Amino acid sequence: MADSIIAVDCSLEVMDTLKEMLGEEATLSGKSFEDIDSLQDYRMILVESADNQDELLQRIKKLRYACYFRNLPIILIKKQGNIDSIEPYLSSGATEVLSLDDPPAAFQQILKGYLSPNREPLKEEKEYLDSFINNTCKVLKTTASVETIFKEVYFANDFRIFGDISGIIGLSGAAEGLLGITFYWPLAKMIIARMMDVDQDRINAELIHDGVAEIINMISGSTKKEFVDKPYHFEISLPSVIVGSGHQIGHAENTPIAVLIFEVNFQYFALQVCLNYMNPQNH
Amino acid sequence: MKVIVADDSRVMRNIISNALKPMGFEILHAANGQEVIDILQLSWSQIGLILLDWNMPVMNGLEVLKEMKGNDQYKDIPVLMVSTEAEIGKMDLAFNEGAKGYLAKPFTQDELTKLISSTIKI
Repeated sequence: MADSIIAVDCSLEVMDTLKEMLGEEATLSGKSFEDIDSLQDYRMILVESADNQDELLQRIKKLRYACYFRNLPIILIKKQGNIDSIEPYLSSGATEVLSLDDPPAAFQQILKGYLSPNREPLKEEKEYLDSFINNTCKVLKTTASVETIFKEVYFANDFRIFGDISGIIGLSGAAEGLLGITFYWPLAKMIIARMMDVDQDRINAELIHDGVAEIINMISGSTKKEFVDKPYHFEISLPSVIVGSGHQIGHAENTPIAVLIFEVNFQYFALQVCLNYMNPQNH
Repeated sequence: MKVIVADDSRVMRNIISNALKPMGFEILHAANGQEVIDILQLSWSQIGLILLDWNMPVMNGLEVLKEMKGNDQYKDIPVLMVSTEAEIGKMDLAFNEGAKGYLAKPFTQDELTKLISSTIKI
């Protein structure tokens, strides 16, 4: 089945070139930014570069937010020439910046590379990821009485996450790494209001920071208990909180970063599990 | 009966306080171990129970236990540890310093009620 790709605000010339590049491997749908209601069914988002950089950055940011933590590549396409600095676009949520002036073979290879399916967790990864999933659902059910549904897992290449607030905890010991939970502000506020059993208008930023730290603390603490005598047992640090869209979290080199997406009342949050340990089966 | 709820997280203090409300306690909040000691110095005779987090700034839960153990006035006030650190080693440390029980976060209303009921006479 062909991958479904959305081309946002792309001119006919760009659309024709993209169709030629992608061939029958993808179905390309052109839409204006204002007409997009859901990105649920797409595997990639292509956006044509525009003169108004501020507006373009805002649109990329909104598109990234609308991905709800899914690993959807957002590719910015320049019709001619190159963009001087791509960092503002990456910080807003773009995955890659390409130009139609780039060598066609390279352009095509890069695009098709982003359509490669996400790898599935290995058996040993699934073992510990299942514990994190179960404990995440349990923590929110117990403290906030919310039903949490695990949606999907993928492995990220970097830790640039596009939520509003993240709680992170360092892991050390037999296993090393990092655990992070990332929310959009409205969901964080709703959950913490339910945890405290108060109206949402009584929840300020400080309480959201506090609550997010407690949530990641409880998830890591309750999962840790299940890992005694396992090769991926860890000790936990005190939690930290980071606020700001597009924040990047440092992680250990050559360590898989599993991103787990959860849904609560049609809103989404992500748990990042970055764990490096010595698997005795491999030695 | 007055109960001290000690946790550096205001959110967590609220969660615990809400869980204690049905039991009719008067709740006193402490954001760190030193505040627990300050409350005890003023009104130890009115305190029937302390719910104590492990990791707190200024003075942590274990340090509070040790301080209380060395004081004749409040060494017998029952203390329950409430923490994410629920491994056997940590629990043993707390029990050795006088804690009467241990509750792992997250906990249900039922778990809290049962532990408190088995610890003190309500």
